[in-house]
Amino acid sequence: MRLEFQNVSYSYAGKEAERTGKKRKKRDRQAEWGNSPDARWALREVSFAVEPGEFLGIAGHTGSGKSTLIQHMNGLLHPTEGRVLADGADLARKEVATEVRARVGLVFQYPESQLFAPTVFEDVAFGPRNFGVPADELEERVRESMERVGLSFDELRDRSPFSLSGGQQRRVAFAGVLACRPEVLVLDEPAAGLDPRSREDFLAMVKQLHAQGTTVVMVSHSMDDLYALATRILVMSEGRVLRLGAPEEVFADGDALTAVGLGLPAPVRFANSLREANFPLPKGLHSEESLASAIADALEGSLHE
Amino acid sequence: MNRVLLGQYWPEESLVHRMDPRVKFLLSLALIVAIFCAATPASLAVAALFVLVFYGFAHIPPLTALRSIGPLLVLVLFTALLNVLFVQGGEVYFQWWIICVSEKGLQSAAFIAVRLLLLLMAVSLLTLTTTTLDITAAFERLLAPFARVGLPAHEMGMILGIALRFLPQFAQELATVYRAQVSRGARFTANPFRGGLQSLTALMVPLFSSAFRHADTLSQAMDARCYHGGTGVTRLHPLRCTWRDAAGTAAVAAMFAAVLVVNAL
Repeated sequence: MRLEFQNVSYSYAGKEAERTGKKRKKRDRQAEWGNSPDARWALREVSFAVEPGEFLGIAGHTGSGKSTLIQHMNGLLHPTEGRVLADGADLARKEVATEVRARVGLVFQYPESQLFAPTVFEDVAFGPRNFGVPADELEERVRESMERVGLSFDELRDRSPFSLSGGQQRRVAFAGVLACRPEVLVLDEPAAGLDPRSREDFLAMVKQLHAQGTTVVMVSHSMDDLYALATRILVMSEGRVLRLGAPEEVFADGDALTAVGLGLPAPVRFANSLREANFPLPKGLHSEESLASAIADALEGSLHE
Repeated sequence: MNRVLLGQYWPEESLVHRMDPRVKFLLSLALIVAIFCAATPASLAVAALFVLVFYGFAHIPPLTALRSIGPLLVLVLFTALLNVLFVQGGEVYFQWWIICVSEKGLQSAAFIAVRLLLLLMAVSLLTLTTTTLDITAAFERLLAPFARVGLPAHEMGMILGIALRFLPQFAQELATVYRAQVSRGARFTANPFRGGLQSLTALMVPLFSSAFRHADTLSQAMDARCYHGGTGVTRLHPLRCTWRDAAGTAAVAAMFAAVLVVNAL
């Protein structure tokens, strides 16, 4: 599914933004980074598309509009101005939004806080059941999605989700979205607050889902994760699209990113400081492995001289 | 959240904002009594004038004030409607079946509506100009004399403060859970015949479990800061009465006098 944003602006004050916003005083409006909480627009003139099969990373400082943006992807929020099209159909129409929700799975930050059912099975089956999956298919769906997130179906199906550990709870919540078999998976900081090991597991899981054909949109504060996983990166700042492109392009302009409060991936940062120290490095080498071998080559070269 | 919620604090630097919260608390009670004392349309108009002047001193635009009591306006309208329908007398303007709109009905409806509106505005003047922290402190200090007869004044103030503090938090969490469940295809309806109750559990269970989680975290955080109840606790900014409070008291007293005089006329 292709999700296209056409000139989308969004204000939490709704249509009123245009009227009242002009009257209000301008003082204290500008936050140092991102949006001040009472700024008029949470999104402003955002145009781009989520292409089928891609892994789109979204970066931006707190309050830059990332969460608002992803809530437009399954029609939870509707643009104040502009349109969001899902395969050409306008998401502002209710029946389109209902249909798209079954195909775009949205995983919120700390999804474990949405668990509610008495058993793990019931919680994971909540989504598919709502979307009209027949009862005899439910068990298969739940089993499949639980195994996909690394949980044992037979052991956990009748446990209460509240008796599980935090990491397991997040897996259950994630399985609850996967059980709907979304074509597009939208993740808001999926690894936030996890220990390093679970974090790795989680990201590997996301990577595998993408490799199997799911379109993935991932919001993250970790430039390293985005750099390692994403095929394209969108950088938001103050509700606008600051950069959009391949990771190499986006991270080539380090100053623009630091200006909006974002960092650079570790290998890029390391390479940049080596260059500043006049270490002979060829241009455009950014991944951890290629940087390592480039450094090795350069060192060997200087030894032979 | 950009909407002005019911009586949400409206930051300004006005005379009213800088008054002592205890005095404001008592004065807003006095304001309510004064509005109740106004027995004729003329004296009610005088009371309304005073309330508007107080809002002027607080630098709060009247429209914002109205919006802040928005949801309760329904109550005002409902009461007015009841009066139109059930108070009879004087000239009859309109009659159909058992519905009868008469002169007295309209008069009493207008009177009650304005009085209710003024009451609501008087109460929200307190909450609009006072932070919840200050309201809690005022509440606690005003109850303090009763501590001698065993009333847990400090604890009650603390409970009020914590409850007020967590209201917006829970509203926000409820919104998030709602969106998460809608993303999983939930359709929320209050209709009990279409699974309304069942779909509500998908909202309420996460909300309650998070409330308990917050309570645990908060009590640990209070423990970690050596909280041991109210004895011997001092304030960083002690509450102090100033000339503003004297002026405020005088203004409310003037309102009382004016209302009573106009009543007697």
